[in-house]
Amino acid sequence: MLSFIKNNRESTVLIAILILFLFISLADSNYFHIQTLTMVFSSAQVLILLAIGASMVMLTRNIDVSVGSTMGLSAVAVATALNAGFPLPIAVLIALCVGAACGFLNGVLVAIGKIPAIVATLGTLGLFRGLMLLWTGGKWIEGLPNSIKNLSSSDFLGISYFGWIIVLITAGFAFMLTKTHFGRNFYAVGDNLQGARQLGVKVDMTRIIAFTLNGTMAAMAGIVFTSQIGFVPNTTGNGLEMKAIAACVLGGVSLLGGVGTVIGAVLGAFFLTQIDSVLVLMRLPAWWNDFIAGLVLLSVLVFDGRLRISIEKAIKAQRYARFRADATNENDDKPESSSSISTGAKGRELL
Amino acid sequence: MKLRQLANWEGALAGLIVVEILIFGAINPSMLSLNVLLYSTSDFIYIGIVALPLTLVIVSGGMDISLGSTIGLSAIAMGVLFKLGLPIELCMFLTICIGALCGLINALLIIYTGVNPLVITLGTMYLYGGSALLLSGMSGATGYEGIGGFPNSFTDIANGMVFGLPFPLFLFIVAIGLLAMILHRSAIGRNLFLIGQNDRVAKYSGIPITSTLCFAYSMVGICAAISGILLVSYFGSARSDLGISFLMPAITAVVLGGANIYGGAGSIFGTALAALLVGYMQQGLQMVGVPNQISSALSGGLLIIVVVARSIVSHRDVLLDKWSRILSTYQLAKETK
Repeated sequence: MLSFIKNNRESTVLIAILILFLFISLADSNYFHIQTLTMVFSSAQVLILLAIGASMVMLTRNIDVSVGSTMGLSAVAVATALNAGFPLPIAVLIALCVGAACGFLNGVLVAIGKIPAIVATLGTLGLFRGLMLLWTGGKWIEGLPNSIKNLSSSDFLGISYFGWIIVLITAGFAFMLTKTHFGRNFYAVGDNLQGARQLGVKVDMTRIIAFTLNGTMAAMAGIVFTSQIGFVPNTTGNGLEMKAIAACVLGGVSLLGGVGTVIGAVLGAFFLTQIDSVLVLMRLPAWWNDFIAGLVLLSVLVFDGRLRISIEKAIKAQRYARFRADATNENDDKPESSSSISTGAKGRELL
Repeated sequence: MKLRQLANWEGALAGLIVVEILIFGAINPSMLSLNVLLYSTSDFIYIGIVALPLTLVIVSGGMDISLGSTIGLSAIAMGVLFKLGLPIELCMFLTICIGALCGLINALLIIYTGVNPLVITLGTMYLYGGSALLLSGMSGATGYEGIGGFPNSFTDIANGMVFGLPFPLFLFIVAIGLLAMILHRSAIGRNLFLIGQNDRVAKYSGIPITSTLCFAYSMVGICAAISGILLVSYFGSARSDLGISFLMPAITAVVLGGANIYGGAGSIFGTALAALLVGYMQQGLQMVGVPNQISSALSGGLLIIVVVARSIVSHRDVLLDKWSRILSTYQLAKETK
């Protein structure tokens, strides 16, 4: 059981999602409908995109707390470009470039400037937010053309066009990270920077690319956000950076780098959004949201942490079992040590 | 050597504050009046009050991003307790206990799970923030009004004067003295530095890691609760969203003050000066007429510039080496031509 959870983090989150879905369906039969899932998916889209980006950065053992501001800046970029009369594809391209540039700046600061990622992105968090407000003068951008709103409203098989694009993006990232040489570099850099360098991975380049991709995904999130609500408030993206990191952690992406998958991050984001929607359905007031999200996140973390500690202990116990075998003859903690040896066998199985 | 470097850095920060005040004073002369300089601290000194204990945590190699939520939780707890009809002194005491408990929970979870402190406090950030919203929702306080109706004796606390200083500033100075003693002159402080340098070595050399970390995180909680109470007293109403905006400036102040985000280095005086630098920057920009929003860009930019400059100074050997290598290959290429 434990090893299953450890090794199949994505399926665990998936099962959690399904259990939550069924559990609520039992309480309220109206909930039991495929439409509910697509509805949750459509409100999770922004977070999913941010989580994909954040997982790229977290795989390389960095962290980016500036994505909320990057998202806001890109949303303003796409809205301003559209209102200035640019056609939709060009406007989207401009926004993506803005996001990529923001991410690139972060990457350069971290990889070449040698600034700890959290410090650098903390600085750019304020910087990008300020740039966005400077650009708009703190006003909301309204009166966007229908072309962009249609991308979120019109649907195919119950999922909007943006929804399908997000499915494609997820699949693309999952393929790249698991199957290509280029994608495995991210894991190598996050797992062991020095080792990756000695294997000939261009570590600085890889980290800059990770940040740039993160910025691009944040820009995409900004575009989806704009298209969903049809205007750009001056608080776009506030606080979402932490939520994106929370989604990744929930989905099994380790902050220590090198562990995790994009699918896990996406499912984590979906799960977090599902909690919100369930609370709405159970007619609990909105002030429960953060409390429950925090509880879920913390219990996952505690469970994860204890699991890792017990596995490490088991491995250690197994490694020194030889020496302990003599000691157990004298001591009276025989049952304990034998149990730790048996978990030791389990620990090896896990590896 | 290390001490001299730090001292230099603190000197540079003090210089920056003076330059900053002079620049703002040149644009808006009213900034230069001593009264304005003193009283404007009441608007931002909470950054400093929470940044000081955060220095202890960061020196130990940890991180606490839940402090903004802790401020909000203690603020709303203050209001709810007061509404229950408890005497105001007891309310304040219980609120500080709640803050300490929040910090203690952080520390225990971090030690118990061995998970990165940033992630744990991310979780508790939601938990405490959520509890604050929950409390305010259940007590029937609507989002932006909060719980009001405090007696004058309470609202006078934050607006009062002690020894010619506004009370929040006075508290800040007391906190500097106390925490500087702890971090730089006591065994706990030495232990914090050692844990930050190398926690495994610290563990093997018998340093009481658990109690030391519990102490550091509880200090953050206590100071967050104190700033929560001060904010309630200053604004006259208890709201759950009071502290969120102090998180990023507080971390900025600690980093600007010379602490190593990976632990093992930092100074209380540096943090205190950096908190004043960040605070006067916000205040000065407001007085000069720059909208609030742009000041966030400028303080973000300031953080990046300062950290890049420090990074260049500390990596100057590597950079010089690289530069000379580039030069020599260039010359080689020239010669072969």
